[in-house]
Amino acid sequence: MDDLDEIKTKLDFCEKLGIKNLILEPKNNKKTISLDLKMKLKALTRINLYYRITLKPSGLKELKNMIRNYNNFKDILSVETLDKDTHIYAAKDSRVDILSFSEQKSLKTLSRGVISLVKQSGSYIEFSLAPIMIANKSIQSKNFRTLYRSLKLVRNLNVNYIINGNFEDIYDFRHPRALISICYSLLDLPLYEAKKAFKEYHLNLLKRVQGRHNNNIIEAGIRIIKENDKIG
Amino acid sequence: MIKLVKIEKQRYILFKVIKDDSTYFEEKTFLNSIWQSIWKYFGMKGANKVGLWLLELNLENNLGIIRCSNKTKEEIITALTFIKEIDNKRVIFSPIKTSGTIKGLKK
Repeated sequence: MDDLDEIKTKLDFCEKLGIKNLILEPKNNKKTISLDLKMKLKALTRINLYYRITLKPSGLKELKNMIRNYNNFKDILSVETLDKDTHIYAAKDSRVDILSFSEQKSLKTLSRGVISLVKQSGSYIEFSLAPIMIANKSIQSKNFRTLYRSLKLVRNLNVNYIINGNFEDIYDFRHPRALISICYSLLDLPLYEAKKAFKEYHLNLLKRVQGRHNNNIIEAGIRIIKENDKIG
Repeated sequence: MIKLVKIEKQRYILFKVIKDDSTYFEEKTFLNSIWQSIWKYFGMKGANKVGLWLLELNLENNLGIIRCSNKTKEEIITALTFIKEIDNKRVIFSPIKTSGTIKGLKK
């Protein structure tokens, strides 16, 4: 996030691809994104920008220490870890919006228990398509298989999930419409659901984050209505 | 008795070519790449259904149009998406619009 030129190149490339909304995530374990930086980034592009921080704790103790700073966090907060106990804690915690399984190693730790907890807390499970864009055929097939199984498990248990690109190299970037086609034709997701995973579920996630700062919203689906408020 | 044969519907896909200004390749090379990609991800079973036809590839405007069978539209977009290089030069083919008629694409 410090190198504005690099970000500008990436944002320009996204504009070329026709991307309209983007979630940005800082590298180098940055804890927050300042308002000043957000304004600078906004001036660089016409794309609607949203922000997220991903915590990558190695264990439960580290997560507890890290998450203390995010009590009233205004952006999206996600947790990515390989530790099962940390998964369970993060899935229960209402501050965590996304439990990320974007790396192949972490996908193997996805369990029914964690999915159930995520469902109860109304947060989201994240998958990434980056591992399937690699050139090595055998690893690519393996990654496809792992992702296919995990997606099937999550869909069967009817939990909120989102699919992201998470590509690092600009020539790996793809328009969401192209990624929807991949999900439909190679990962067996129905077309309407693949579209939801790239659009509607992200909007719901952003609503959740915005709702956190609204004192009238107690939890997802429960809002205090005043006498003069319009219902709907 | 006259037998009615249902004619397969077609889809036209308009796509954008994202590449360096110096990168140039011929239509034949592009077609080879897309067929390779179809073979890699969908095999013979998928390849014989696609009905692929390149109508236009304009590297000055960085746009192209291909025609395929209505039922294999998503497979073609997937195959296009997975092409990362042509002649060792990095390139992206990004779908812009699909339509049942060329007229619809040009709107």
